[in-house]
Amino acid sequence: MKHIVKRAGHTESYDERKLYASVYASCLAVREPVGSAELVAKEIVRLVGEWLNNKHEVSSHDIRLQASKHLKVINPDASFQYLHHKVIY
Amino acid sequence: MLGVGGQRPTDFDFDLIVIGTGAGGGVAAHAAVSAGKKVAVIEAEKVGGECPNFGCVPTKALLQAAETYEIAKHGGQLGVQASNVSFNYPAIKAWKDLAVRHTGTSEGEQAYASEHITLISGHAHFLSPWTISVGRRRYNAHKFLIATGTKQIVPPIPGLAETGFITYREAIDLIKPPKSLFVIGGGAIGCEFTQLFNTFGTTVHLADFAPRLIGQEDPEVGELLEALFASRGITVHTSARITRIVKKGSKKIVYFEKDGQTHEASVEQILLSTGKAPNTDLGLDNAGVSWDHSGITVNRFMQTSSKHIYAAGDVVGPFRFTHTASYQSRIAAHNMFHTKKKFSADYKAVPRCVFVDPEIACVGATEQRLREDRFEYQVGAVPISLIGRSNTSNMDTGFVKVLADRYGVLLGASIVCPRAGEMIHELTLAIQHGLRAQAIVETIHAFPTWSEAVRLACQKIKSR
Repeated sequence: MKHIVKRAGHTESYDERKLYASVYASCLAVREPVGSAELVAKEIVRLVGEWLNNKHEVSSHDIRLQASKHLKVINPDASFQYLHHKVIY
Repeated sequence: MLGVGGQRPTDFDFDLIVIGTGAGGGVAAHAAVSAGKKVAVIEAEKVGGECPNFGCVPTKALLQAAETYEIAKHGGQLGVQASNVSFNYPAIKAWKDLAVRHTGTSEGEQAYASEHITLISGHAHFLSPWTISVGRRRYNAHKFLIATGTKQIVPPIPGLAETGFITYREAIDLIKPPKSLFVIGGGAIGCEFTQLFNTFGTTVHLADFAPRLIGQEDPEVGELLEALFASRGITVHTSARITRIVKKGSKKIVYFEKDGQTHEASVEQILLSTGKAPNTDLGLDNAGVSWDHSGITVNRFMQTSSKHIYAAGDVVGPFRFTHTASYQSRIAAHNMFHTKKKFSADYKAVPRCVFVDPEIACVGATEQRLREDRFEYQVGAVPISLIGRSNTSNMDTGFVKVLADRYGVLLGASIVCPRAGEMIHELTLAIQHGLRAQAIVETIHAFPTWSEAVRLACQKIKSR
């Protein structure tokens, strides 16, 4: 079980559905078609899962950086949206 | 307590946690323990790091076997006849393994235990500036030293991943030399493996996108090496760009562009030596440590942007050698625990060696750098064929070249000569301490030694 250290310092189990949902929402926000957004979100979850393989505990910030790094290659606008949505909205 | 979330812990598990047990980490760990500190080291792979396990030590052991084979084959010129000279590659590999064991890396764990250094196996990941996660446990420390080294860069060449390739890590463990080999990358590693496999009968192609081999050194070095390789039947492709690689049966076809034309080479194996990238995947952002594609950013005291975290070795640069890693590690260890007088890193005289035949060794500035800096300099160069040792050794290919400022103060040197790796230290000492070439000229050099060429080269420098 992978653990995510949140900003406040507490930990919670890694839930890939949360990552999937946030990437999916970022893709939709930049007008990515629904089907494509699903595929992109699935790919990002896979890549982040691979990166997590040799790690037991990472911070939520690490997950954010990894996801945005991979998302930038596929859809730079969605990556920007994903990274900065808290500032934008 | 654990410091996760950014707050500094009130007490620490260790005085120092070193990430990486190579030259960059090990030296500081031992120094800190000697100073009475409580130390832990974290290692994700083999204890001892790259150099003794996969790098310098195994390749030099293999090259020694190659040199011995070469000498035995050509002894006839000196009247020494050896019939049926042959090699047994598995036995050569066994010799290499023995040389690696002799470095003591196999006893690395016991060595750490005997010094009461806690060895932790696993991948380290920073959760905060003071807390690190390894496996299922967290550790915190007053100071950290990051010495995680580098990993091979795999260039985005179409077909490379699908076709398959080896790197230096696999090349040292082959049980027989490939029949044919395409080496991508004409740096030190590429050239050493080219030399090695060519000696054992492999048909070798060596390609680099740079206009010459060992491109960071003075042009004469790469040009002479290319000529020497060509004379040994090695096909060197400089200014070549690999466009794609295709697998055809048991062969690998490498397509490359050179002089506007497409060429191809069919080989059994591909060896990748295209450079290395720093291992920075350890949560550096959580620790507030600045880094970029070239490595972790440090000041001259080996301190990162997070003041209690230091870094040393290949992950820092600017040189990626065992000797610079241990130098940086010593500096980091001193500066961590001595606040009154700090040591700073000085790279003006770093020896750089390539263990081909004849050896290549350089130190200090190159001509190109001096030209870029618009520095007024003078050159003193001699071929090694001028000296007595060349005559008695039946070896006349090579040179010694020294660079000095207009007052004759030595700035840089390049040597291509048997035992150049030993000869370079005289010039390293001179450059480090700002000596003039005249100081070397006035020093008695034994006859007949290769080092006489250093004196002769320095004689060509005018002192003002």
